[in-house]
Amino acid sequence: MEGVKEGAHGGTLGSSVRSAGRLNSPRPVQVEPGLDGTPRRVNRRVVAVVREEWRVVDRWWTDEPVQRRYFDVVLDGGERAVVYRDERAGGWFSQRGV
Amino acid sequence: MVACVLIPGFELRAALRARPSLALRPAALAPAEGEEPLIGPITAAAEAQGVKPGMRMGEALATCPELVLVEQDPSAAEQAWEEILRRLEDAGFEVDSGDLGCVYFETRGVERLYGGAEAALERALAAVGSAWDPRAGAAGRRFAALAAANVARPGQVLIVADERTREFLAPLPLALLPLAEQRRRELEELGVRNVGELAGLPGGAVAERLGPDGRRAWSLARGRDRGRVRGRRAPAELIETLEFPEAIGNELTLRRALAVLVERLLGRAERGERFLRKVALSATLVGGGSWRRQLTLREPFAEADRLRIALGPKLAELSGPVLKLKLEALELTESTGQQLMLVRPEGDELQGMLRDGLRQVKASTGEGGVCTVVEVAPWSRIPEQRALLVARDE
Repeated sequence: MEGVKEGAHGGTLGSSVRSAGRLNSPRPVQVEPGLDGTPRRVNRRVVAVVREEWRVVDRWWTDEPVQRRYFDVVLDGGERAVVYRDERAGGWFSQRGV
Repeated sequence: MVACVLIPGFELRAALRARPSLALRPAALAPAEGEEPLIGPITAAAEAQGVKPGMRMGEALATCPELVLVEQDPSAAEQAWEEILRRLEDAGFEVDSGDLGCVYFETRGVERLYGGAEAALERALAAVGSAWDPRAGAAGRRFAALAAANVARPGQVLIVADERTREFLAPLPLALLPLAEQRRRELEELGVRNVGELAGLPGGAVAERLGPDGRRAWSLARGRDRGRVRGRRAPAELIETLEFPEAIGNELTLRRALAVLVERLLGRAERGERFLRKVALSATLVGGGSWRRQLTLREPFAEADRLRIALGPKLAELSGPVLKLKLEALELTESTGQQLMLVRPEGDELQGMLRDGLRQVKASTGEGGVCTVVEVAPWSRIPEQRALLVARDE
């Protein structure tokens, strides 16, 4: 996946299940952030409300640490989306099941 | 006894009926659009030039530059096959149609009528017509009958006695068995070159190495074939056609045309209140080719909306602009009522229904189409690490 290291999604799972698909894998998404880094547009759709914001910092003890800034947003059409910025590799992703 | 009448290269022969002059020239059936570029059946002239069925198109044209590729005409092939089946039924045979060009029937009921199995098979060949070069085989089992028909020459009848089945099958090539090309190659690499050598292997070892398909092929090779012959239901003759003044390639227009055909078909008085079980949608394409898709409905019904939803996506598979669209009701239910459930299914019955549904989804979407969610680290703060999708084996 573009902009994200394999480790961020691979983790500690063994090679025996490598071929299986992952549930809720992140997908690249186009985000226009504001000056404070919060999303203003997601896939060209205007963000109406940012409901929540949180950080996930994990696996910092490994060679493939995870550092993400998540936003739970409501778009102008009323749909909800959860997007995050990968703060190590850069790039925006959307994710379900968060 | 089970009898099999076989017409090798039926689709090519059917397509050549419109261009008979090509029958004596090197010609091959072209692959359908979107399929792997492998040629289909070939004429005898093409075979004499070194072309083989299943060859890559480029290789075939390099081997025989004057090779003519004949466009597939599934609608004409289906119609020609239906005519043959009806002639056989008129002659008293209760036919069980396999693929196009291959039909089975039980000889027991007609042996007395024609004075023996051989005379009955000769009558069947005559009913098919010598122009198709049919051949017939009969044996105690379905697969052995197919093998006998494969070995017979055009117009010949070959009957294999029950006690000689294994002996007869032994020297035949593995290509006769319903095995994937890769599996067949695997067997050949292991030194297994014919049906007899496969039959000589231990069943457990074959199943372990080649899986259920291999085990089935092994059973067939040993003459243990449980395939029964079941006469087909009489086809319903409900057909609705729409001809366009000019070729239509727009899917929206085609969907509207389909809606009209569905309404007309369901409104036919001959249908009575019966439900549709099997339908076919076909089209005549610009340039003379045709397109056809057959659909067996999971549950018989007669609602226009459901039929449109079931058939609509098929229109996206059309390979070119359409001159004529045809909708056929191939099978109708016998009764007019719909069986409702008295008791809600549960336990094993519910599990069985679920398994059945999943099997159908898998059959239509291919391997990996049905998955199970397996939680591996539900406590993880990284969402994609919490669960995996694992393909279901059953």
